[in-house]
Amino acid sequence: MSVLATRDLIIEVPGREGGTPLNIAIEPGQVWGVLGPNGAGKTTLLHTLAGLQAPRSGSVQLNDLALGQLRRRHVAQRLGLVFQDRQDGFPATVLETALIGRHPYLSPWQMEGADDYARAEGALERLDVAHLRNRLVSTLSGGERQRVAIATVLTQAPNVWLADEPTNHLDLHHQSAVMALMGEQAAQGQAVIMCLHDLNLAARWCDHVLLLYPNGEACWGPRDSMLVPSALESLYRQKLAVVEVDGAPVFVPIKG
Amino acid sequence: MLVRLGLPLSLLLLAALAALLLALGVGSAQISPAQIWDLLQGEGDALARTMVMELRLPRALSAFAVGGLLAVAGALMQVLLRNPLADPYVLGLSGGASIGALAAMLGGLGGLAISSSAFGGALFSTFLVFGLAHGSGGWTPSRLLLTGVVVAAGWGAVITLMLALSPAERLPGMLYWLMGDLSYSRTPWPPLLLLLATCVVLIPLGRSLNVLARGPQQAAALGVAVRPLEWCIYVAASLLTAAAVTTAGSIGFVGLVVPHMLRLLLGNDQRLILPACALAGGTLLVLADTLARTMIAPEQLPVGVITALLGVPTFLFLLYRSR
Amino acid sequence: MFTLANKKSGLARGALGLALLLMATVAPANDQSRCAVDDRDREVCLHNAAQRIATLSPGATELTYAAGAGNQVVAVVSYSDYPPEAKQVASVGSHTRIDLEKLVGLAPDLVIGWVTGNPAEQLETLEALGMPVFYIEPRDMDGVASAIERLARLAGTEAAGQAVADNFRTTMNDLEERYRDREPVPTFYQVWDEPLMSVNDQHLIGQVVEICGGKNVFGEQARLVPRIDDEAVLAANPEAIIAGGMGEENRHWLTHWEQYSNLKAVAEDNLFFVPPSLIQRPTPRLMEGTQLLCEKLDIARQKRERS
Repeated sequence: MSVLATRDLIIEVPGREGGTPLNIAIEPGQVWGVLGPNGAGKTTLLHTLAGLQAPRSGSVQLNDLALGQLRRRHVAQRLGLVFQDRQDGFPATVLETALIGRHPYLSPWQMEGADDYARAEGALERLDVAHLRNRLVSTLSGGERQRVAIATVLTQAPNVWLADEPTNHLDLHHQSAVMALMGEQAAQGQAVIMCLHDLNLAARWCDHVLLLYPNGEACWGPRDSMLVPSALESLYRQKLAVVEVDGAPVFVPIKG
Repeated sequence: MLVRLGLPLSLLLLAALAALLLALGVGSAQISPAQIWDLLQGEGDALARTMVMELRLPRALSAFAVGGLLAVAGALMQVLLRNPLADPYVLGLSGGASIGALAAMLGGLGGLAISSSAFGGALFSTFLVFGLAHGSGGWTPSRLLLTGVVVAAGWGAVITLMLALSPAERLPGMLYWLMGDLSYSRTPWPPLLLLLATCVVLIPLGRSLNVLARGPQQAAALGVAVRPLEWCIYVAASLLTAAAVTTAGSIGFVGLVVPHMLRLLLGNDQRLILPACALAGGTLLVLADTLARTMIAPEQLPVGVITALLGVPTFLFLLYRSR
Repeated sequence: MFTLANKKSGLARGALGLALLLMATVAPANDQSRCAVDDRDREVCLHNAAQRIATLSPGATELTYAAGAGNQVVAVVSYSDYPPEAKQVASVGSHTRIDLEKLVGLAPDLVIGWVTGNPAEQLETLEALGMPVFYIEPRDMDGVASAIERLARLAGTEAAGQAVADNFRTTMNDLEERYRDREPVPTFYQVWDEPLMSVNDQHLIGQVVEICGGKNVFGEQARLVPRIDDEAVLAANPEAIIAGGMGEENRHWLTHWEQYSNLKAVAEDNLFFVPPSLIQRPTPRLMEGTQLLCEKLDIARQKRERS
């Protein structure tokens, strides 16, 4: 169990004056959704929360300790980040890629053991890419690569999940499967925060929402208090109609 | 897992030993393995002993060391720049070393001065490229690569100038150095020990290199200290290349082709690739050098020609088979 | 020598015998130690006359044969084509890269090296293996003669070598006396055509030109073998152009100059060919080459008088 919290955090976005200082706490069992239009800084926020980027001001705390003061390895064992953009590095197979998720747990002289392999294989199964285990990642489709990336973080088994648009490139079946996985992780006691561009995914799967505006303003809170049409319409500058389906609101863009 | 590493490395080790034995036995006088065994134990004909122990053994060990150093440096460069076309010379280091060596030759200085001068030139070039590539946010692989390519081109121009202005009788020596030449290497122990030490130090870093090769952000998210590790690779690769070039001039192809070939055959685990590069690179150069000194004996060929003739078709064959 | 005919002084004979005996035991160190100073100012000493000589340049081969030690040569390098017997000797590679193994296998007891032409590291290796290396690089006519004498000393062929050296000195002196003070002829000696190369006054060939009463138009150049271009030759406007060419028969370097009809040498048709091996090697064949070159310059002078 780990808690990721921010204290008066303002993220560094070039050209942006300032913004609302963020004071959020992502607790075990919670699923947070970060919503905002393009350019609002969702990815920057996630990278700042992961410690990959320095904030303009304020700090990020992992279990009440400032992220910058913790050892990298310690952080990597507790925080996992699913990137939005795939960086194509050197060629590697799907299994090798999933296995690097175990890196934070292994000492330099240690080789991956049976347990590590089991975790990786299990993660690949869970994401429905086990049949591709010996294929080179570069030969996969966008959706398959996305699932491999998620499987890598699953292998890493962090306490806090930071996912940047995890459903990109995925078909409907796998979109639901991935969101269900996030929900499962939360149910098992992890803390989850995801950037989503699809409002409706947040509406269905998240219990807390953070709205990021392009000018730096932000507001956050439980889902139901955040997902009100007026706030969303000003966020996306788009008129919306809302219906309820299966116990959760569904927002539809309309002309007007 | 240890088996996964152990089997290919053992095979490569056997190949290396076979190549060394061949190098000791072949030449203007053929010496059988049994005789070599006697010589190594201190017995045997004095002339054969001189030939094997004073001429062939240092040369073969130097060839092995240089080949290993270049192959490992090439593998490291490819990880650092995340570019499978990188080779140890891409950052201009061999140009700096060449200028040092050629300047010493022009000055009429002898063997030790040429080596020291080459090493100094290599280090100077390394620091120059590193300093120039340092941007406002540190350096990125593409900045480093671009700076290195430009500096290498600059050195190339200076080398051409030196060749144009040098007295005619010095030219053959200078050209041989530029083409890569093992005919005068006497002490193989410095480069050999460096190779061994490097492999030992790099193996625990192997997995971090694997992670780094997936991309720096991914690596940072998994707890790899990206900048320090990249620095470390840069320094290591430069040191290895400087040692190789100082010993034998600028021998091409080994640093580019060997890591590639091994990756096609053995996968991408740097913990396996790096020691395999050391063994395979060394073996390749020992074989190439043996050919270079015997193919049209008593005329001597530059070993760089042989590495190209051997390396390129083998690589193309493997590439073709792997599709 | 002593006459031992005087039977009466048996004491004297005894003393003489004792003296000879003493000399016989003391003398060997001096008598059989052959020393000579090479062209790098190092003294090389051998216990016995060298019997297995390796010559690492075509010039050294010629000089060693000239010194009378041809039968003792066991290793040469490529292009050691004179005298013809040298072609039968085992080759150990090119003078720029020697097959050390083959050389070591031939077990030479003396190696004749070339200061600027042989690779320094390889010769250092030979010395480290305990082989005596004697460097030569004759820079003037006396240097050629002295090299022959020194080689003869090391090879134990002093008589033959001295004769050749003396003959060389005499011949060159004669040539100098005969031609040096004649009317100077501005001369261009072409060493190579691509790139265009000539020689300065310090070069052996430049000295030959001087001996023949020529004035080397590139004599003042700083480098021993300067690289020049056609323009420089046109500007210097030599009266005679002398070229070697690739191989012994090839004259096409000279035909290149015929396009410049304003060149004095072309106008007077003073385009002369001298076989390069007679003049480009620091060997006794220089006598022949110098003779030829002097005659050519004389032809140029005669054409002057006619016109």
